[in-house]
Amino acid sequence: MRFVIIGNGVAGVTAARALSDAGAEVEVYTEEAHHYYPRPRLQKFLAGEIELEELPLYPLSWYEKRGIAVHLGVEVAGLDPRAKRIVLTDDRQVPYDRLLLATGSRPFVPPIEGVDKDGVFTLRTIEDALAIRRWAEGAKRAVVVGGGLLGLEAARALTVLGLEVTVLERGPHLLQRQLDADGGALMRELIGAMGIEVVLEASSQAILGDGQASGVLLQDGRRIEGGLILISAGVRSNVRLAQDAGLEVNRGVVVDEHLQTSAEDIYAAGDVAEFQGQVYGIIPAGLEQARVAAANMLGREQAEYQGTIPSNTLQVVGIDCASIGVVHPSEGEGYQELRKSEAGVYKKLVLKDGRLVGAILLGDRKDAAPISRLIRRGADVSRYAERLLDDDFDWKGLL
Amino acid sequence: MDKWECLVCGYVYDPAVGDPDSDIPPGTPFEDLPDDWVCPECGADKDMFEKLE
Repeated sequence: MRFVIIGNGVAGVTAARALSDAGAEVEVYTEEAHHYYPRPRLQKFLAGEIELEELPLYPLSWYEKRGIAVHLGVEVAGLDPRAKRIVLTDDRQVPYDRLLLATGSRPFVPPIEGVDKDGVFTLRTIEDALAIRRWAEGAKRAVVVGGGLLGLEAARALTVLGLEVTVLERGPHLLQRQLDADGGALMRELIGAMGIEVVLEASSQAILGDGQASGVLLQDGRRIEGGLILISAGVRSNVRLAQDAGLEVNRGVVVDEHLQTSAEDIYAAGDVAEFQGQVYGIIPAGLEQARVAAANMLGREQAEYQGTIPSNTLQVVGIDCASIGVVHPSEGEGYQELRKSEAGVYKKLVLKDGRLVGAILLGDRKDAAPISRLIRRGADVSRYAERLLDDDFDWKGLL
Repeated sequence: MDKWECLVCGYVYDPAVGDPDSDIPPGTPFEDLPDDWVCPECGADKDMFEKLE
């Protein structure tokens, strides 16, 4: 059986790994010039904290040993689901029995006037990071457009490179997706203490400068100076191949619970896949989807994907931050919120019908692992409700 | 020896198994993993692991 994967990000490589565990030979085609590297590590690479050679997760021997052939720097021009083959840009045709689309996503660039000026960047690949580092050498101030996870991490990296950084966030608080207003306010405080300036409710209208960026003009007329502009406004799925081939595509490539697309023997996983209306765009979902897709591609079992509980556990600029499950409960649907805020730590727990369904843990991740497991399990914690926020509450005892 | 869990993806490092992908032999305690060791599943840094009890 011929297994072909397009894309060598976390979903593509995880699927390749699972297929090879079962003894299958796998071919991977990717536009990237580099073997798989965990994308979050790009931030450290940008900051100069790790070297280029340290980025790839596996050595070449790992691929050889497993019978995974990775074709780097190869662009796929099209798919032919009926003839069951992919076509490369040099017209070569590669047949498959089962195909996995793991083409990932690319940065979204909002319609800001002048984004094509020199000195305006997005960060998604090693090449992006290298270009930003070169440009940073001649810059003093940087503006990061977008106060999400990647924007804040990039802001930290640019600070390490010696730049003064301002982060522009369109919404009322930082980390819109992971935090609520109180958490966002604390995050702003902690980040501010590190010398990163934050401007909220800041809609960017134009990139200032004559050919070369010199700052950002906001819609309310404020001007934020900076010779290096990094746009970090989210991502969009790379759906073109699927779309051109007539597969069902919405925001992402639509997949069913087996991670199969609308075309026979074509599967999709990771940032490119849309499951029940959702494109997750997070590593845990990419990992789970890739494993289920691989199991179904092998045809040995009918593995089912049931969605991923959104979870982000990370260190943002060295600040521990975990955001798990439902953190923005809708009003009037019977959710209960427990909150506590003191001395640089913010905790919020979300319960529904006594069950733990979500949590924000900012500034203290001591209990992130057990809480995350209890959320996945939908554990009933109602009888402890009054003590859950106690610092010495024994979360591990509930497992 | 203790097992450690990756907070990012849930991978569990089991010293009895080691991490063959990174040439870490079985019997290596988590504390003895090199500082630049990362999660073999998702690439998270060593400091993103918490001990399982």
